[in-house]
Amino acid sequence: MKYSLLLAALLSASSLMADDIVQAENTGLSEPTKNITVVCPECTKVAPMQEQADSEQVLSAEKDILINVTGQGVAPMDTSSPAQAYALAKRAAVADAYRLIAEKVKGVRIDGQDLIKNMMVKRSTVRTSVNAMVRNANVVETTFKEGLCEVEMEILISHSQFAQ
Amino acid sequence: MRSRDGNLNFSLSICTVISLLFSSQTLKADEYLISYRYVVKDATLYNETLQIAKAMQKCVGEPQTELILENDGANDLKKIIAENSDEFIDAIHKLGLHVEHNERTENLQNSSTTILTLQTTCFKVDFNDNSVRIAPLK
Repeated sequence: MKYSLLLAALLSASSLMADDIVQAENTGLSEPTKNITVVCPECTKVAPMQEQADSEQVLSAEKDILINVTGQGVAPMDTSSPAQAYALAKRAAVADAYRLIAEKVKGVRIDGQDLIKNMMVKRSTVRTSVNAMVRNANVVETTFKEGLCEVEMEILISHSQFAQ
Repeated sequence: MRSRDGNLNFSLSICTVISLLFSSQTLKADEYLISYRYVVKDATLYNETLQIAKAMQKCVGEPQTELILENDGANDLKKIIAENSDEFIDAIHKLGLHVEHNERTENLQNSSTTILTLQTTCFKVDFNDNSVRIAPLK
């Protein structure tokens, strides 16, 4: 009786072991899954992005953030003098720099719309918009070359400005 | 012998003269409403407007950082600002502008409009002989 019970226990244990081996063969894995190392190009790309997110500046009470942007503007075609062209291009470049500051600080709203007819893209539209109030931005440098004016602007963002 | 209230009339008249002087000083400081707006379309300046009007009602607020412009005795603020427009517009930029930007990309062709606006702000303006002091009220 004792030997028969022992034999039954041995048989059941061996059958369970056999099931595990069959499952491992079906999945094509010879080792337990916890030891598997997956190598794929996407996984290697994820790592730098994670590092970038870690190094991203976060506004805190202890540290101010300096934002630097470069706006571009062009002079209209029908200007009466190079000086006027410069003045108008600079104004446009300053507006572009203000827009860039607003985009960085407050963010951009994006709406997209694709029209597909008979399995073909008829029209693809992307609309972006920014609304913000920018105060205390300073012009650092202005360059004007071949009708293109570039204005470098900076703004110091401190925690107290956003305190509620 | 002088009466006991003899000096009262004299001191009252002095006070009246002083208060009149002070009130005339305050009357010299005018208040103006100024707004500024410019539109940039496709990276090119499209329209720029600077509206200046004398305030018809007294403004509320304290004068902030003032701007001093040169003046050759004129009392016309529009003319003075036109002569020092760059300086004045730089000061307006420092006050803060509202940015409204809309961009549209249709079939890979991009067009954009940026509008920078200074909402109508009351300025206290002091006309002096050789200079004008302009301070926004907040």
